[in-house]
Amino acid sequence: MIDSSLRWVDDRLGIAKGGRTFLDKIFPDHWSFMLGEIALYSFVVLLGTGVFLSLYYIPSAHEIVYHGGYLPLQGQKVSEAYATSVGLSFDVKSGLLMRQAHHWSADIFLGSIAVHMARVFFTGAFRKPREFNWIVGVTMLLLGIVNGFLGYSLPDDLVSGTGIRIAYSIIESVPLVGSYLGFFLFGGNYPGNGIIIPRFYLLHVLIVPALIVGLLAAHLGLLVKQKHTQFKGRGKTEHNVVGSPMFPTFMAKTTGFLFMTTAVTFILAGFAQINPIWQFGQYEPFQISYAVQPDWYMGWLDGTLRIMPSWEFVGWGHTIPLEVLLPAVIFPGIIFNIFFAWPFIESRHTRDLAYHNLLDRPRDRPKRTGAGAMMLMLMFMIFAASSTDVMANFFQIRLNSVLWFFRIAVPLIPVITYFVTVKICEEMGGAEGIGKRKRPNVVHRSASGEFSTVPAEARPGDGHEELEAVPVPTFIDMVPADLATGPGIRRVMR
Amino acid sequence: MFRGRYAIPAALLASVGIFGLMAFSPSAAQADSTTPTTVASADGGYPYPTQTSPTSTTSPTSSAPSGYGTANITLPESFIAPGQALFDASCASCHGADAAGTSRAPNLQGLGAGTVDFWVSTGRMPLAISSVQAAQKPSRFNRSQTLQIAAFVQSRAPGTGMPVPIVNLSAANLEAGGSLFTLNCAACHTITGAGDALAGGASAPSLHLATPTQIIEAIRSGPGNMPRFSEGNLTPTEVHDIAAYVHGVIQHPDDRGGFGLGGIGPVGEGFVGLLVGVGLLMLVCFWIGERT
Repeated sequence: MIDSSLRWVDDRLGIAKGGRTFLDKIFPDHWSFMLGEIALYSFVVLLGTGVFLSLYYIPSAHEIVYHGGYLPLQGQKVSEAYATSVGLSFDVKSGLLMRQAHHWSADIFLGSIAVHMARVFFTGAFRKPREFNWIVGVTMLLLGIVNGFLGYSLPDDLVSGTGIRIAYSIIESVPLVGSYLGFFLFGGNYPGNGIIIPRFYLLHVLIVPALIVGLLAAHLGLLVKQKHTQFKGRGKTEHNVVGSPMFPTFMAKTTGFLFMTTAVTFILAGFAQINPIWQFGQYEPFQISYAVQPDWYMGWLDGTLRIMPSWEFVGWGHTIPLEVLLPAVIFPGIIFNIFFAWPFIESRHTRDLAYHNLLDRPRDRPKRTGAGAMMLMLMFMIFAASSTDVMANFFQIRLNSVLWFFRIAVPLIPVITYFVTVKICEEMGGAEGIGKRKRPNVVHRSASGEFSTVPAEARPGDGHEELEAVPVPTFIDMVPADLATGPGIRRVMR
Repeated sequence: MFRGRYAIPAALLASVGIFGLMAFSPSAAQADSTTPTTVASADGGYPYPTQTSPTSTTSPTSSAPSGYGTANITLPESFIAPGQALFDASCASCHGADAAGTSRAPNLQGLGAGTVDFWVSTGRMPLAISSVQAAQKPSRFNRSQTLQIAAFVQSRAPGTGMPVPIVNLSAANLEAGGSLFTLNCAACHTITGAGDALAGGASAPSLHLATPTQIIEAIRSGPGNMPRFSEGNLTPTEVHDIAAYVHGVIQHPDDRGGFGLGGIGPVGEGFVGLLVGVGLLMLVCFWIGERT
């Protein structure tokens, strides 16, 4: 039955050949290769929960009188966007769970992209021939951050409205074209004519996700075409891939992983409150709350804005607000240009133009590892700087002292990190047997009371072993019996 | 598959996550999510705690200094003598025997009983250490002692300053209080009332433990860095609306959706999202992937 229907489809579409290649795609088994999947499956969760939210959310700044489940808001005039967002939390069944899952999922999505990117960076997986895929990935990170900000703004609550106000000022700070750009996006001077919420909605649910989906397809297509990288190890060379085939081993794993990602997201959504917009009230341009921060992935922009001294250039009838332009436009521009250009910066520096399918151990490339650690530390420090007020309040220190600490620490500590990391990597490279699995010692006590240690017997992974190349079978049921019961590891030529 | 040696890093990560949750989860007082939609009258008539004896001797009727609210507590003459004794013991070394101030502390005459009540009942006075801003701490005096001190200071300049208000929130309007709070208070105290650090070592304190009386006294007297809101800024009705909102919504928020993570917004959320969310999923990777 299945056989004949598949044959029917194959006769017309010729899927067997491509399907065969896909099902036999080999995935390396190392755990760090699954980090990108967290992002992939978070994106799936985001799409699913997002569709649910869009059924109830109305992207309109039109003012209505609130009549819903949240009593302190009863009878007040609020925007439709805010009313329906609060309604999602109070009146729609499981709406709050879905809204919180959507928000947590966004946090996890961008967090896992950062972790995945760090893995790719530190192991040198971006080198030739995979520079394209690195660029595609960085673009998705950028789009993810943008879409996170857009989505955060949609409820039209006091906290997110403050974020839109800051975004408008950042756009305005661009010399010459800034005010035109701002007027173009907002349809006039801030806050526009109630037009920004529908526009953000369109961008958030259609345009940016469509771009991400397209880039995601390119990301995975390139992955299949170029095949995975792999760590050095037994039987692994530049010309082969060692791992589990897509079907059945990896498919089972990855499907399970989809469920695990969904489960963790919904556990957080069920137990941890995120963004309780009903407590914030709706956004009015003349109102403000103190202690407003953006989500963590925007925090690094907020951090640079906070620690920047108030410098301003005035001349020839124009004002250039350097205190906004430098930290919020120039600085992220430089950072993302470094991200995009890193494969080329590195190959120019190392003059390494060879193909690389085997990954580096981070410690074998001290300078790259140091640069990566420096960037991570810089990001962490300015992220921490975005919570100056929270720190000052929590630890009962003067806010000004915290500010000055970060003004000095943000440029200084990453540089120290670089040199410390390089030194650690170099020292590790010189040490004997480091990173190898340690053989346990068994301590014996003789009859006369003398102690002696004897190394334990070698375990299977300790010795040197060569893998035999196993051709991929034409049909799954033709796998040799000894392989079928084995761990499912195969090796194919590139 | 889950071997013993992975249990240690797993347990470590989990404990970091749990610690984060505990550190940012709301206190027991906040976690109490019974949400009064209208303010209960039990707290509405707060200013007279039952344990104090002078309740019977004071007559809560409208009294001399007008212009501070609808009704105020009249402090009886009998309060002045014990109040002076308490003042001499705890306050006079800085504020002077006659509450007229010294080089170390300001003149209190003419500030009124309500101002004194605020500073003493919130524990800010007597001062523990001279700093940018007086620290809030458990009050050293009970209700009747506090009112006795207030009566003594009031007696130095009768008829001036702010009296101790009688707060009745039963008729207050929560919705109006909410808008007024957002407009006038949230810019420093934050929209959730959690408070935050201001410049130069000053801070806007958390409102989660303030009583309605203290809220009104603070609005009218403007303690420390806080601006003073006169009746031209906020009418007595509006002040009561704000107190009702702080008491009914800020102090008892509708905290649905799980642990509140401290009500400090995206910093705590990002912390939990990265450590617990991404952290747990990385452990899952570690579990189902190969580790050599």
